[in-house]
Amino acid sequence: MTPHAARRVRVAILTIVMFGVVAVFLSPLAQMALTSLKSERQISQAYAPLLPSDPRAFTYQGRRYDVYLVPVGGEVRELALVEKGRTESGFVDPDRPQDGVITWQGSWRALRPSWTLAPQWSNYADVWNLIDFPRLLFNTAAIALIGTLGTVLSCTLVGYGFARFRFPGRGPLFTLLIATIFLPTTVTLIPTYTVFARIGWVGTWLPLLVPAFFANAYSVFLLRQYFMTIPREMDEAAAIDGAGPLRTLLSVIVPQAWPAISAVTLFNFVYTWNDYFTPLVYLSGRPDLQPLQVGLAAFNGLYTHNPAYIQAGTMMTIAVPVLLFACFQRAFMRGVMSTGVDK
Amino acid sequence: MTAVRMPRRVPMSRAARRETRHGFLFILPWIIGFIAFTALPMAATFVFTFLNISLAEAEPLRFVGLDNYRRLLGDDQAWAALGVTARFALMWLPVVVALPFLLALAVNSRGVRGGGLLRVLLFMPYVVPFVAGALIWQNMLAADGWINSALRLLGVAHPPSWLNDPAWVTPGLVLIGLWGLGAGLIVNLAGLRAIPAQLYDAALIDGAGWWRRLRHVTIPMMSPVLFYTIILAVVEVMQYFLVPLVLFDGNGDPGGATRFFNLYLYQTFFTFQEMSYGSTLAWLLFVITLAVTLLLFRLSRRWVHYTSER
Amino acid sequence: MNGTLPRLLAALTALVLLTACTTGAGGDAAPVQLRWYCCLGTGEQADQVKAQQAVVDEFNARHRDIKVKLDVVPYNSARDTLATQIASGKGPDIVGPVGVGGAAAFHGQWLDLGPFIKARGFDLRPYSEGAADLYRIGSVQEGLPFAIYPSTLYYKADLFEEAGLAEPPHKYGEKYRWPDGREAEWNYETLRELALRLTVDKNGKDATQQGFDAGNIVQYGFEPARDDLRYQGSAFGPASLDAGDGKTVKIPEPWADAWRFFYDGMWKDRFIMTGPVFETDRFNGDGAAFFSGHVAMSVNFLWSTYGVAGAGPDWDVAAMPSHDGRTTSPTSADTFRILAGSKHPDKAFEFLSHLVGPASNKLLEAYGAMPARTADQDAFFTKLAAQFTNTVDWQVAKDSVRFADTPHSEAHTPKYNQTLAVLGTYRSRWMTKGGLDMDAELTRLRAEIQKIWDR
Repeated sequence: MTPHAARRVRVAILTIVMFGVVAVFLSPLAQMALTSLKSERQISQAYAPLLPSDPRAFTYQGRRYDVYLVPVGGEVRELALVEKGRTESGFVDPDRPQDGVITWQGSWRALRPSWTLAPQWSNYADVWNLIDFPRLLFNTAAIALIGTLGTVLSCTLVGYGFARFRFPGRGPLFTLLIATIFLPTTVTLIPTYTVFARIGWVGTWLPLLVPAFFANAYSVFLLRQYFMTIPREMDEAAAIDGAGPLRTLLSVIVPQAWPAISAVTLFNFVYTWNDYFTPLVYLSGRPDLQPLQVGLAAFNGLYTHNPAYIQAGTMMTIAVPVLLFACFQRAFMRGVMSTGVDK
Repeated sequence: MTAVRMPRRVPMSRAARRETRHGFLFILPWIIGFIAFTALPMAATFVFTFLNISLAEAEPLRFVGLDNYRRLLGDDQAWAALGVTARFALMWLPVVVALPFLLALAVNSRGVRGGGLLRVLLFMPYVVPFVAGALIWQNMLAADGWINSALRLLGVAHPPSWLNDPAWVTPGLVLIGLWGLGAGLIVNLAGLRAIPAQLYDAALIDGAGWWRRLRHVTIPMMSPVLFYTIILAVVEVMQYFLVPLVLFDGNGDPGGATRFFNLYLYQTFFTFQEMSYGSTLAWLLFVITLAVTLLLFRLSRRWVHYTSER
Repeated sequence: MNGTLPRLLAALTALVLLTACTTGAGGDAAPVQLRWYCCLGTGEQADQVKAQQAVVDEFNARHRDIKVKLDVVPYNSARDTLATQIASGKGPDIVGPVGVGGAAAFHGQWLDLGPFIKARGFDLRPYSEGAADLYRIGSVQEGLPFAIYPSTLYYKADLFEEAGLAEPPHKYGEKYRWPDGREAEWNYETLRELALRLTVDKNGKDATQQGFDAGNIVQYGFEPARDDLRYQGSAFGPASLDAGDGKTVKIPEPWADAWRFFYDGMWKDRFIMTGPVFETDRFNGDGAAFFSGHVAMSVNFLWSTYGVAGAGPDWDVAAMPSHDGRTTSPTSADTFRILAGSKHPDKAFEFLSHLVGPASNKLLEAYGAMPARTADQDAFFTKLAAQFTNTVDWQVAKDSVRFADTPHSEAHTPKYNQTLAVLGTYRSRWMTKGGLDMDAELTRLRAEIQKIWDR
């Protein structure tokens, strides 16, 4: 084999292995998709096949009976089980019901049902209607977009401040910033809620949106780390050209740090998109303002536990971020190419 | 991280003053937010630790001194919960730092095709809402779920009862957590892409093989990113509780094996409605996390490499 | 550039603060605002929310001075959210439907309705005897009777038929008749024997037969009330963990018996599913194992009619079995309550009287709850029966009320929520761990709770 061909084989094998790993990694998504298409009976059916299936049914004398694969006299026949018994059971041939009940010796439980594929596409429509999906989707998107915008703006400014300026107290302040990451959210919840309730923000989006405009430690940390990997000579060159700090940020740092900014945008968007706890606390009792995650939880209630609905709702919810990422990751890559880092 | 020490009495130069002003202006949004949404609520919570605020069995409000701290010292459940968190951390941290890094290397390498598609696919589970994700994994890890069926096919006669066996539930939770490694993957990928190609070119000219390029170019250049993922993983692990909360209704099932410290804290706050003792637990968690992180920062000086630190 | 930057930042900050303040400000006008908080129990399903909202709208239309707002928070997060709201001084006015346990969880937070009942002359006579007692909780005296849910034994008639066994008795005091003609007391010992025969593996062998494959059970004989150990205990006999002085913990004899029955049923006799099996979707469809259709008998409250149709068309209800000669049907009782922090207790009581009065039948129907008012019960069961294709012997439910548990299994104890958490931990431990010594377990459990009570 030529070295070139050997390399191709190696690439092929590695690629196949990687996609195999990914397939295993994503198998829960497949289960999610399959569950979303099942009826409750299909979910609780013993030894059911992977795909959403019902036992074939046959109506005999006004009642529905399941059809089983029954070995009779050396051949396997599809018969409807009409009388269940421990040692012998009665069957009817769906093709010749006029022949009456055939008695079969053995345990019917050892028989395999005759399955027919029966996906419940209506689950999706049900979820759509039951929780006013379009409105929840709009709420989720609006909260996620505004919140992300605020975070990215404020964190870029703050990250730049920490990465590029010397000022007294910078070290201690940065340590303080990092320290806030370690603060359990439960610690600030009660006092914060009290204040928000006092000023009338509870029951509005403000408690979810306003804090986003004041930077969060995670994103500032990430951006600052990246800003610090950008050679300072580039800012200095811009400064010599007469650029002020804001223009340096916009014309030098932001284009260089595009991957990091993309990542921060993406994380914050997904985080807000999926956030459950905060909207639940602040928007309880305002179903018209709630995002999807809170609405979906309705199907995981005490009296309303419906795995299929949850998963159908989830399939619809994740569609947006997945599509977004699929588009976004091209921009993400383009950003990297155009920064000049690769040259 | 280096604090710049300024001799107090020497007046700043004009340039330094301007730099100071700019620096403060840029970080102003954070300072305002910090005071409003963090410092003041935290101070309030700290004050709570010396009071007797409790909704159940409510008593007249009074100052109780160090009672809450004394109770903490004798609270077996709190220390047991800390143990649960520590055990999970030991299992979780190596995996969550190493795996995204290795996956990013693989996805980014020239030896693998379809990197863009792989990126999207690996990232996908990260966007699954954790409630739905946890419920799906509950099925995957069930006694006769897909994981155990696969194990049986591979010849394991008695696969573990993942979520219902105190001994297996921690690995089970690690598996669930792995599903969200898309975030770490992206951070690592962004870091890899930011490494200047000329460094690799130079290494190739020096005749460095794959391993030496990884050891001497990739890892040092990635050290700030790896440090970031380590810090975040530590913080996450200390505050971990939402998945067990959803899976086990906040009871710490099976048999207390998933009563993580933050879950116990949450229970104390909301289920037991003991606001003051809850605040005390919260402060303990905060102090421990802070201590661990400060240690990590200290150690980081030995291995984290910033190109433009000054 | 130097001048632009500070101004830009200042403008941005100001803008955010400004929008925040203007949108946030808003004052109330004349009518009194009341907030009705749901769902510490039932009430979160879409059609229930609709029924509740309709009641609110109707009330608001007829009362100019009161404006009620319905807050629906899903059950799973309802307790925590309510705790947060109360802690920050922004609690609702009315909470409900809430059961005995939900009320005990917020012990000390409720308004004593006694003075209002007296002042308004609220008539308690039309209710089932003793029903009003169900609504008294600890130090707070009265609640208005609203809904009751007695426990019965749900069973699947087709599974009995397949096994060639007679169905369990429907009348209290009747005996059980075995196929050989032998008659037996209808108690948990008889139920155990029955359950063994109704536990079947995938080859069709039952748990009493040679070669029964315990690793591949497809049908279980019995499902006790598993969610709450106290309920499970009370099905064997009403009792309390409180020895009587409000300080000492004792494990009541019937509860200990019930828990041993549960433990052995899972790990020795195999007619009750273990924790890992219980957690699978196959056996735990819509929230209760019996609804999967793979369980022959199950003790549960009347409210499980909300999902029991999932078990198939052949289910019915039978009398609760006795234990040591005593029959108990643990009975859940829901009502609406006013929080002590309400600023308008008078108006809240007015709304409360509406909920348990004129609006009650509409709400009870939505909740699937048996009316505490005796005169309404027949109409309720007629409506309930119409939901099912099979004929169900509802008389059993009516008869069961006589065997309600006093003291109530969910009654307040010292350190209520912490005690519940310990019980929950043991419940999970027993469900997931075989080979435990139950005597040692009970001693440990007692000691652990005692330690919390002593604190």
